[in-house]
Amino acid sequence: MASEEESAVKEPLDLIRLSLDERIYVKLRSDRELRGKLHAYDQHLNMILGDVEEVVTTVEIDDETYEEIVRSTRRTVPFLFVRGDGVILVSPPLRTA
Amino acid sequence: MSGTIAAEKGSSTTKTPSDFLKSIRGRPVVVKLNSGVDYRGILACLDGYMNIAMEQTEEYVNGQLKNKYGDAFIRGNNVLYISTSKRTIAEDE
Repeated sequence: MASEEESAVKEPLDLIRLSLDERIYVKLRSDRELRGKLHAYDQHLNMILGDVEEVVTTVEIDDETYEEIVRSTRRTVPFLFVRGDGVILVSPPLRTA
Repeated sequence: MSGTIAAEKGSSTTKTPSDFLKSIRGRPVVVKLNSGVDYRGILACLDGYMNIAMEQTEEYVNGQLKNKYGDAFIRGNNVLYISTSKRTIAEDE
């Protein structure tokens, strides 16, 4: 392969563009996860998602027994604007969901 | 082949962080986030903000494998470091 000096090298954001109008999985800060259809995004990773399911995961530790209680709270939202600074990771949906 | 990384360290191939970022595409990497979570996979591409696109990504929390992603995009502000690894991409079932 010739060593090409590509100025149009693909950026990670270019590859997110391939997921437009597809369902995606988004990991957010504060132990939150979203699954929804990606309608739009920008360089900040602000996103518009449709038909979204949000899962909030909390771990409580019992004071006496010290057992970890993992709780998941779910809700669905038809249309959602996500502010990009909370985004950690974006991916096509996990099959094991 | 496997000793290339060590050999390049002393040579003039990688001088600046930008050169490093250009040179590691396609390699298996370890990406550690500020939150302490580890992601191991093959680096597809990255940009100057340290936004990362990876393939065959595995997520390790406290050293334990938690998730596998076919493709993963990680927002650069969360990245603590990107490190190359000599991980053999064993496609074990």
